[in-house]
Amino acid sequence: MNLTPLLVAEILLFPGLTFFVFMAFILEWLERKTAARVQGRRGPVVAGPFGIVQPVADFFKLSMKEEIVPEESDKFIMRWGPPLYFAAPAAGLVFVPVIALSALIQNQFDLFFMFFILSFTTLMASLLGYASAGRYSTVAVGRLVLQYSSYEIPMLLSMIVPAVLSGKLSLSGIVAAQSGHWFVLFAPVGFAVFIIAALAELEKPPFDIPSASTEIVGGWMTEFSGNTLAYVKLTKNLSYVFLSALSATLFLGGPQGPIFVSGAMAAVVLHTFYFTVKLLFVAFLIFAIRTALARVKIDQATRLFWTILTPLALVQLGVAVILGW
Amino acid sequence: MSQAADSFSGRFRRWARKRSIWVFHVNAASCNGCDIEILAALTPRYDAERFGVELVPSPRHADVLLVTGTVNAQMKDRLRDVYEQIPEPKHVVAIGACALGGGVMKGCYNVGHGIDKVIPVDLYIPGCPPRPEALLFGIIKLVTGEPPDRREE
Repeated sequence: MNLTPLLVAEILLFPGLTFFVFMAFILEWLERKTAARVQGRRGPVVAGPFGIVQPVADFFKLSMKEEIVPEESDKFIMRWGPPLYFAAPAAGLVFVPVIALSALIQNQFDLFFMFFILSFTTLMASLLGYASAGRYSTVAVGRLVLQYSSYEIPMLLSMIVPAVLSGKLSLSGIVAAQSGHWFVLFAPVGFAVFIIAALAELEKPPFDIPSASTEIVGGWMTEFSGNTLAYVKLTKNLSYVFLSALSATLFLGGPQGPIFVSGAMAAVVLHTFYFTVKLLFVAFLIFAIRTALARVKIDQATRLFWTILTPLALVQLGVAVILGW
Repeated sequence: MSQAADSFSGRFRRWARKRSIWVFHVNAASCNGCDIEILAALTPRYDAERFGVELVPSPRHADVLLVTGTVNAQMKDRLRDVYEQIPEPKHVVAIGACALGGGVMKGCYNVGHGIDKVIPVDLYIPGCPPRPEALLFGIIKLVTGEPPDRREE
């Protein structure tokens, strides 16, 4: 594959990094606003119209603050971990088709790279937590790893379902196979399992066990401050975008939509519109669940994932094999 | 005001600091009256999140330290520890009569008379306990007014 200037510009600007960071800020604002409205509050109001630039103010305020690095921490990982952690979902998002039916970068085995990104994010989170050498961070990393070992299997099984249905292992191929019939119609259980596992991956209630602020202070982020905290929080929001985009791509047809027009510009606008609507729908689904439910215990979460969701995902996979035949 | 602070980046910096105030709350031997009022300021009726105020779990994430209660001899060192864990720039808000000057405990053998004897204080909110409106008034002072310069100590 050759990197033309247009492709580099696309990766950095519109359907690439800048667009998704913008979506990350929008999603955080929407999440806070939704939670506030459900609780009968107003949410952010003062910063910009309807408080829409509140996450931006938070990000820049944090990045301008002093950074305290604990004395016993691993300085090397504390320095280079956050950029790597940020790079994981940012790299994964390049493989998601937004403005056309094929993504900016694609190869035959995209889906395996998505598996890698999902595990790498958790690995970097646990590395960062251990490197900061706080007591609460260490407890939180233990919980994080236990939770990861419970939700990973159902998540990967549910991600295989669209691959089996379409017979393709690339995200672009999976999107192309969904013209007219989205996979959520054939695999509603797989979609549900993926959403529940995504909640656990994002550490949202009811699975916010590794970052439970009423139990272990700030979770694995307890010791971070200043710039590091700003980027870690931005990365969590970017993972939010990544998982919403992934479920929109795998199960809801990605940039596919009911109306198609000829003409390059109009097609780009329509595809982006459909994709953004689906991404916001999935994100909204996630924060509706997040706002409504309370935290479960770690053993309850593990039992849920291992004894209920894994068999469900396996059954869904069997159904998909029969359907895809 | 210096030239640098009036430039675009300086104004942006001040804007970001004013719109995003993350508070950390320390109960320094308070009777819980003021703490309940702080929580009330975050509830739907008063909703301090409108101004970008968020209650954070760790002092390392915080911008503003809310201290309630008369600081007794045991609490003094702990309060100083927490204060030093907050990254610069930081502000301290003393809430309630006890935090301001001892309150009803004034003259007791083991209480400090006001937390400004222990750590520098930027904003005093009187009352026993102060109403949530008073807390919000103080927060709006921080938001709309010039944030008070931290004293050199």
